[in-house]
Amino acid sequence: MDDLHMDALVIGGGIAGMQSALDLGDQGFQVALVERDPSIGGRMITLSKVFPTLDCCSCITTPKMSAVAHHPNIHLYTYCEIQSVQEHGAGFDVSILQKPRYVDISKCTGCRECEYECPITVPSPFDRNLGAYRAIRVPFSTAVPQKAVLDPEYCLWCGKCEQKCPVEAIDFSQQPETFTIEADSIIMATGFDLTPVSTKKEYGAGKLHNVIDPLMMERFLAPTGPYGRVLRPGDGKEPGSIAYVQCAGSRDETLGITYCSRVCCMYAIKQAMLLNGALPMADITIYYMDIRTFGKGYEQFYQNAKAMGVNFVRGKVASIREDADQNPILKVEMTDTGEIVEQTFDLVVLSQGIVPASHPTVSLPLGSDGFISVPAPDSAPCVTGRPGIFVTGTAAGPMDIVDSIVSASAAAAEASAYIRENGSRLEVEKEALYA
Amino acid sequence: MPENQQPRIGVYICHCGGNISGAVQCESVAKALKGLPNVTITRTDESMCSDAGQSLIEKDIQELGINRVVVGACAPMLHEQTFRGAVTRAGLNPFLYHHVGLREQDSWVHGHDKTAATDKALRLMSAGVAKARLLQPLDPIRLGAEKHALVIGGGVAGLRAALDIARQGLRVTLIEKSPFLGGRMAQLETVFPTEEEARALLHDLIQKVTAHPNVTIFMGAEVMGVSGYVGNFTIQVKQHSRGVSDDNAEALMSACTQEVPDPFNYGLTKRKVIYRPYEGCYSSTPAVDWDHYDGRPFDVNGWPIELKDEPKSFELNVGAVVVATGFDPYTPPQGEYGFGELPQVVTLPQLIRHLALSKDGKSLQWNGRAVRDVALIHCVGSRQVDGVHQPQEDGQVNNYCSRVCCTASLHMTADLHKRYPELNIYDLHQDIRTYGRGHEEYYRHALEDGVRFLRYNGEEVPEVSPAPQGDSHPVLVKVKDMLTYGEEIEIPVDLVVLAVGFMPRDLHGLDKMLKISRGNDRFLLEVHPKLRPVETAVKGVILAGSAQGPMNIQESLSAASAAAAKVASLLGRGKVELPPFVAAVDVEKCNGTGACVEACVYEGAIALQTFNENGEEVKRAVITPANCVGCGACVAVCPNNAVNVQGWTLAQYEAMVEAIGMDLPAMTEVTA
Repeated sequence: MDDLHMDALVIGGGIAGMQSALDLGDQGFQVALVERDPSIGGRMITLSKVFPTLDCCSCITTPKMSAVAHHPNIHLYTYCEIQSVQEHGAGFDVSILQKPRYVDISKCTGCRECEYECPITVPSPFDRNLGAYRAIRVPFSTAVPQKAVLDPEYCLWCGKCEQKCPVEAIDFSQQPETFTIEADSIIMATGFDLTPVSTKKEYGAGKLHNVIDPLMMERFLAPTGPYGRVLRPGDGKEPGSIAYVQCAGSRDETLGITYCSRVCCMYAIKQAMLLNGALPMADITIYYMDIRTFGKGYEQFYQNAKAMGVNFVRGKVASIREDADQNPILKVEMTDTGEIVEQTFDLVVLSQGIVPASHPTVSLPLGSDGFISVPAPDSAPCVTGRPGIFVTGTAAGPMDIVDSIVSASAAAAEASAYIRENGSRLEVEKEALYA
Repeated sequence: MPENQQPRIGVYICHCGGNISGAVQCESVAKALKGLPNVTITRTDESMCSDAGQSLIEKDIQELGINRVVVGACAPMLHEQTFRGAVTRAGLNPFLYHHVGLREQDSWVHGHDKTAATDKALRLMSAGVAKARLLQPLDPIRLGAEKHALVIGGGVAGLRAALDIARQGLRVTLIEKSPFLGGRMAQLETVFPTEEEARALLHDLIQKVTAHPNVTIFMGAEVMGVSGYVGNFTIQVKQHSRGVSDDNAEALMSACTQEVPDPFNYGLTKRKVIYRPYEGCYSSTPAVDWDHYDGRPFDVNGWPIELKDEPKSFELNVGAVVVATGFDPYTPPQGEYGFGELPQVVTLPQLIRHLALSKDGKSLQWNGRAVRDVALIHCVGSRQVDGVHQPQEDGQVNNYCSRVCCTASLHMTADLHKRYPELNIYDLHQDIRTYGRGHEEYYRHALEDGVRFLRYNGEEVPEVSPAPQGDSHPVLVKVKDMLTYGEEIEIPVDLVVLAVGFMPRDLHGLDKMLKISRGNDRFLLEVHPKLRPVETAVKGVILAGSAQGPMNIQESLSAASAAAAKVASLLGRGKVELPPFVAAVDVEKCNGTGACVEACVYEGAIALQTFNENGEEVKRAVITPANCVGCGACVAVCPNNAVNVQGWTLAQYEAMVEAIGMDLPAMTEVTA
């Protein structure tokens, strides 16, 4: 591949990275958007509906994905990993690894014939492994780009896809390739992972059958979800009672995660409301320490959920075990009465928090919480400790979608000012930006 | 051109991820529409707005020669532009597209009756098809845009927005109503979570703004009128006199004897009517407080000097407006938690000023005595409950969370504990919402510092009353504490601090002038919290900071920078496009009655002009598209049907109405 020169390079194609890229592209800057997965969309595209408007999530995300794909100034690099970032003048040389898709994306039309032909079924991480797809597939129905990708870990190399492909796009000989992009600025939009609960033995260490994480519940509730309905993963039974355990992995010294993850109160309330619609007879209980519905319209959302009959109980869940029928049993210390009670539910959602996603190889100072450090949050909330590198969204700490989008535009403003003040593109070109 | 050929209509129905397909049998509707004249293809999709869905349309245009497109999906506000974009990419004029709002107009409101919802969907879609047959290609109105933005408000958000717009190479004018920059942030001492000096940060920002060659600042100035549209707003500004200059300021200040309560210190102190709010303020030149100056002359060395406000009025031409008008702290009504009745009840902003003014001393002094016990009450003016709290003027209570007060309160308790370790602090809260990065630490420190937390229910707020005669403390706070399982607790205290929330500001008509709206919470309203979180429904009018809702400094800065990014995208190229949905006159039919001109309420949108027609002088209506909003008032009054709104013509309406009323043959089958 060619060596390229961009005004900005955005790492991460989730909602924050897409918004930063769009804001820079709209101003006329040339932007490279680098995404680790085969499709952009990030976490947001896997969600069901978004709070507090209850818009369907794909209605908000897919048009942004499409806008990125069609933007004349945005250059999309999916299924790529950052290998190194080196200072070069006021800018950077970014070395990028293109992972092999085993599909020539210049030929692939996204017709999915390969997928229909493939005999191998593999768990789909898009569905939190609750559903399955093929070893070769378009990652999900609204993926951008609409290009197939082959998973070599599962592929039997039977060649059926190759025979079926009408445009001869299957290429088993693809090798990882490295290329370099020279960029005047970088925006880190690397996102988050859920707080791990595998070490939280009190909550079953991830081994209980009907205790799930909130992103699984998102897939259950999403119209594109694996079953199209809410079922217990343990036995496929429809749950009649569901409990949410708040602060599961946030504000928890035993896990070393002392901060508040900001989004869990709202997503639990949102899921409770959606469950109310999906399973009108189900009892839903949310066990919490503090309800933190601080954003615009959030407190009203919380009050609506209360009025709908969602049961909010102030109590600390001490432990979870399961009975012979795999029903989770919560042991709760009721803060308002001092009692310790045991309660059995059909399904339990651990409201896990946010930890930084595993970072690509960009050396940046981190805060004590593990997120990218922002040395001056009250004067430059998107500026990192390395000049020319900016940060947005959950890479800089827990944040909801609204705050991520605002932060993404702010990072774009910082980056564009930096490019104007320090960028190495010819003066003539800079003039032309606004011609 | 494909648009001039016989209409070949593509009809697409979106499931909207179950939002529409949950109530409407989309496939049946698509099938029924297939039989309509000119309909070449009908399709349904899980998510038409996705890239895959849009590609479907593009492919049909290119491969099937579709030249009119109808999509039934969400409200046009959300995705009409998305589909116009897709149509354009495929080489079609974007206005050969029609959007039907099946979600908001149908499935969301008729979800309980699927048969009726499907019937309605079919009728709405067939009306869309009827209109599509008559669609004509249109061109957007292209206008030059001023590469110059106005920022209203000189607080931290306005300053940041101005700086970031200037850094994008655009000109900025910042106007601030008060004679000094800095806003609410200047009234703070330190900021969380970094514990930096608020004013040091603020003045660093002010220095950058004032030094930037692209920025012009008017202090003591306000907006009196707004006209125009994105790219070309005309703003009437009135700027009050400063009243004094650096040459005479000191002499006049010492001669000035009239004093008023100082709003900078929330009335805790008094200041002269010629004043600087604080040492080191910007501008450093004092100003006259015209609202309070009694007009009497000052005696300077025996000379009577009378000061007069001689406001200057001028116009600004700007392409975009950033509204950064900020917030007011909630002022409790007389008697709420004893406020205004007991001298020992203060608000948190007042206490911040009080501490700033009393830097020295071993104990916290209030109202002439040492304070040993303090109660801090959260959610004052926030999270209010109907029937429990006194409503605002519009009859509503403040049911929102003010977001900032929890961390601000615990930031305060940390400061109090550091200065006065002997102080007993009681924190009365509903939930502790220290959500931000580095905020939870304040909560942890408060627990370590021995702050005593008590938790009340929103419906059972604490009571504050004077202590009985002879009590060791002047005030008694009663609270039903849920942390001790509902025990009624009485706390004798010396001081009660009310953590007051954010109030939306009275903008004295500015919101009306800009035609922007407020939400149910009375804060300024964004178009969509996720798609366009800092833009208003008026193109070119953008929000920054707490005018939009409660925000802390960090959040205000982000919002302001985001606003700057939007301004740069909008104005950077020096031109804007406006939609072509404006009135158009058919000169063949117009005979110059002038009824349209009388009906028009927009300045310069329509006028009669004299033409020479076959040697005869005739009057004909002429539209100035940039000033027309396409309201249709002229259409309604024209006796000759000579005026139409482009894209929404009378003929198109008639066709739609007819189609809505018509039973399609397939309808009974579909909805049976």
